[in-house]
Amino acid sequence: MGYHLRKLAFYLVALWAAVTLNFVVPRMMPGNPVDILMAKLQQRGGTVDPGARKAYETLLGTGGRDSVLHEYFAYLGNLARGDLGISVSAFPAKVSDVIGDALPWTVVLVGLATLLSFLLGVGLGAVVGWKRGTWLDALVPATTVLSAVPYFWLALILVAVLSSGLGWFPLNGGYDVVLDPGWSAEFIGSALYHGALPALTIVISSIGGWLLGMRNMMVSAMSEDYVLTARAKGLTDSRIMVRYAARNAVLPSVAGFAISLGFVVSGSIVTEQVFSYPGIGSKLLQAVQNNDYALMQGIFLVITIAVLGANLVVDLLYGLIDARTRDRSTVS
Amino acid sequence: MTTLEVRDLTKSFRKLRAVDGVSFTLTAGRTVALVGASGSGKSTVARMIAHLVRPTSGEILLAGPDGEPVPRRAYRDHVQMIFQDPFASLNPFHTVEHHLARPLRLHGHSRADTAAEVIRLLERVSLTPDFARRRPHELSGGQRQRVAIARALAPGAKVIVADEPVSMLDVSIRLGVLKLLSRLQQEENLAVLYITHDLATARHFSDEVLVMHQGRIVERGPADEVLVRPADPYTRRLAAAAPRPEARFGPGGLT
Amino acid sequence: MTFSGKLGAGLGLAGFIVLFGLLGPLLTGDPATIRDVGLTAPGGEHLLGTTLTGQDVLAQLAHATRGSLWIGVLVGVMATVLSGIFGIAGAYAGGVVDEAFSLFSNVMLVIPGLPLVIVVAGFVPADRRGTWTIALVLAITGWAAAARVLRAQTLSLRNRDYVAAARVSGERTWRVICVEILPNLLPVLASQFVFAVVLAILSEAGLSFLGLGAANSSTLGTMLYYAQNGFALQREAWWWFVPPGLVIALFGGALALINFSIDEIVNPRLRDRARRERDVVAIDAEIAPAEPGAVLTVRNLNVVYQAATPVHAVKDVSLTLRRGEILGLAGESGCGKTTLAYAINRLHRPPAEVTSGSVRFSDVDVLALGPEKLREFRWVKLSMVFQGAMNSLNPVTPIRAQLQDVLRTHRPDMSTLDRNARCAEVLRLVGVDPVRLGAYPHELSGGMRQRVMIAMALLLDPQVMIMDEPTTALDVLVQREILNEIKRLRDELGFAVIFITHDLPLLLELSDRIAVMRDGEVVEHATAEEIYLRPQHPYTRQLLASFPSLTGEAGALTR
Repeated sequence: MGYHLRKLAFYLVALWAAVTLNFVVPRMMPGNPVDILMAKLQQRGGTVDPGARKAYETLLGTGGRDSVLHEYFAYLGNLARGDLGISVSAFPAKVSDVIGDALPWTVVLVGLATLLSFLLGVGLGAVVGWKRGTWLDALVPATTVLSAVPYFWLALILVAVLSSGLGWFPLNGGYDVVLDPGWSAEFIGSALYHGALPALTIVISSIGGWLLGMRNMMVSAMSEDYVLTARAKGLTDSRIMVRYAARNAVLPSVAGFAISLGFVVSGSIVTEQVFSYPGIGSKLLQAVQNNDYALMQGIFLVITIAVLGANLVVDLLYGLIDARTRDRSTVS
Repeated sequence: MTTLEVRDLTKSFRKLRAVDGVSFTLTAGRTVALVGASGSGKSTVARMIAHLVRPTSGEILLAGPDGEPVPRRAYRDHVQMIFQDPFASLNPFHTVEHHLARPLRLHGHSRADTAAEVIRLLERVSLTPDFARRRPHELSGGQRQRVAIARALAPGAKVIVADEPVSMLDVSIRLGVLKLLSRLQQEENLAVLYITHDLATARHFSDEVLVMHQGRIVERGPADEVLVRPADPYTRRLAAAAPRPEARFGPGGLT
Repeated sequence: MTFSGKLGAGLGLAGFIVLFGLLGPLLTGDPATIRDVGLTAPGGEHLLGTTLTGQDVLAQLAHATRGSLWIGVLVGVMATVLSGIFGIAGAYAGGVVDEAFSLFSNVMLVIPGLPLVIVVAGFVPADRRGTWTIALVLAITGWAAAARVLRAQTLSLRNRDYVAAARVSGERTWRVICVEILPNLLPVLASQFVFAVVLAILSEAGLSFLGLGAANSSTLGTMLYYAQNGFALQREAWWWFVPPGLVIALFGGALALINFSIDEIVNPRLRDRARRERDVVAIDAEIAPAEPGAVLTVRNLNVVYQAATPVHAVKDVSLTLRRGEILGLAGESGCGKTTLAYAINRLHRPPAEVTSGSVRFSDVDVLALGPEKLREFRWVKLSMVFQGAMNSLNPVTPIRAQLQDVLRTHRPDMSTLDRNARCAEVLRLVGVDPVRLGAYPHELSGGMRQRVMIAMALLLDPQVMIMDEPTTALDVLVQREILNEIKRLRDELGFAVIFITHDLPLLLELSDRIAVMRDGEVVEHATAEEIYLRPQHPYTRQLLASFPSLTGEAGALTR
């Protein structure tokens, strides 16, 4: 099987596992989530028609009335149609609509911040590794500590200093509430302004990991024979550093992207909460606090699919930058 | 008399036939050299005899000193192996003592006499008793290989498979290790399979030579005959490829 | 920071925080006591001030630290056990079990952990969320990365010969894993455990901050949750929300430093090293005049590895390489022959230094060249072929790029067309089809790669080529082909060669003159014929006697 097919197959398996996990978790938990949900719905003045109850039961379990297998296929059928149920906390909006509103905020924020952090971290790591033995070495322990700082706490500190203290950035939100969301320059400017501090939080918290990993690989790569050959060839230092050392050293960082992305996404969820950012992380918490199980599960699925998709893209990219993987016949 | 017979041994890795219908017999008191380039399948033969790799087909038959077949679970009392790289074949975490005591304990020595036996083993490979406490990184390559030889002797095995035992060692100590092996072989009446890519040592240290190429044995016979007057074209090419200063300057001052 | 400095700082800091968590609660009193003082700044009775309800922050911090550490250790142990089962056991078993375990670990790895934990926590009613439940969920979602690392490590260990040797000795499987493999995995296992602890503390803090932590628990995360809900930020009560985060950050940082040190133990290349200002300490101001016909003259060269106890690797070596000749440099491992070869081209790496002597290439004083002149000198006048052709070629670019960048750098005016033509030409010279220009190194056989290296060395028509064990890793037959190729090219193109190897018979056949090295010194230097027929030095004799002749009298050695 080719490298690309193998990767695709792996992510399909992972997707299936996530979807199934999503189905199994509520059924394994104590209590009857459907009853809680219906009670919540009544509180909000929603109409409790049998159809709504049935939809929730498909998602969360009927308590043994239908066979599990029957529920499972009904659940898969609903998913295939993009039907994630009705949100309780935003009743009567559909879960898919709630997610659709929040998703772009998170994708842009987390996507841009991660990309920025990766490029900066890898670039700095390459330089720090190459210039080993200079003052730049001091960056290593410093970033080590930085990467252990909890995202949300850093966010709190940044807000305290830069927003409350100095007033450079807004305290919270995704845009200035007096504006109407749209593609106007004013709105986009406001969104960028509001997104700057959350993005900064993500970049500062995650850059250390990239930097350190790249630096260590750079140091290893520099003692490889091909770098010695490159020096013997009389190539310029910049060429040796970029084309020989860094080009090889970056491979493990790309291969380890999956692990790192998981951390970034997790951190971002809590960060959004601190900034009351209108993204998917805040919605997830809102769902949890309101026992909005349908929304909770929908968001989990969407986050998982987004992470799997990003990893698939990175893996395919890896095949492009390292010819050896394409010829190797090992499993994932 | 201990005899190990290999009959039609074959090993396939996916499409590749690494070893293809190899047969030979090892008998006590004789050294058989298995000669070939890397990738010829000779190491796979060694690993199959050591029960590290399962053959795809063929048989490995072992008869004990009494001539009776040896049951499978007692196989390792009789057949032991010396690996190529002494830097990899000793566990960096453990002392020399551990490497020798474990096989002794596994093959019937009581805890009480193990310590004395370890020292006796060290002496047999010309190492002093204080080596027992050292760890592999404190030893030179030659010393490590001596420990590896002692480990192979520990269970009292009569069949020894030596897979390129000196190719990773410095040239000036290679002959010493080979001479040690040869001495032990004569003293203990061992059956030795000497696997090597070096034709010259194969000739000097073995009775019979098997030349292996692409998984098959292409030529076999008494060492002098096969290597000095090779019949098979591949063996001839191998023999011709070895550096031969005497062809340039005539017989040297030393040999 | 030095290697031990990092470890010391990490251990000290982590130890202090652990002690604070263990002993602090005993000394600071009840964290829940509500006082009538409201929010007060640090000072006086309350070293770290009080919360909105007048609770002592220091007492809360001590209890919270203990709670967080407890969660961290619980999760760390559970996650490490899980990763051990799936990583180590799977990799050792191999086959289908390994494939299945590895697939499972990889799937768990790509499913984002915290969202899953939040969903699970969301389904469990708050009053039923105990510390153990949270710890279990965190462990289940947090073991996969470690399993992957352990699997890779185990896979490499299980193929080591000492594991095979233990099996040949008759050791049982569990003993092979526990006694032979596990001790060598300890550094990795320790580092993964430390990582799992940090991750667990961070995740738990996040979870508690969101109000989804264990019920009735007191951790650094819950402290931050109350601080956030008590509007500590808006009230500018920094003493309330800064300390808990700082403890997490410092503890995480301390463990990361420890991990960093463990990495450095496993991989010594990562250790700090002072950058060397100069590779040449002193050079002889006056260079001895070269012999007529000499292209490279080395005089009294000394190279020292400046370690704690300096190692004098090359001692007073003098060599003369004449135009077009092959000079053999014979010696065993550690004799300094490679160090000498690198020093001639100033490729020696720190801590090696040329302490005295001279290297003269025709009229060029090599040791006196500035960095830019040295770069221009390399490969144009003197090229090299190294031992491991697999490792000498850059694995991620096709060989075309690696041949071309020599021309791009040293012949910037050359047109693309001429460059391509020259690359094809040198490949043809060494008997490689130019269509192979597009190939990656891993697509070529060992012999082919070494031919490509030789082609690369020919690109600029250098006068001297240094070959360091160019055929050692190759098969006898391939070795013979390459040697014939080198002789033919030398005869056609007329470059001079310094050929380094431990294989004296090979040198006797190939070289014009031979220098025998031992312990950094050239002990004998004569024509190949002299060395062969009338070796003077005892070491030369010993070396010669180490190679039995294929055709000589049999049995002479064994008796």
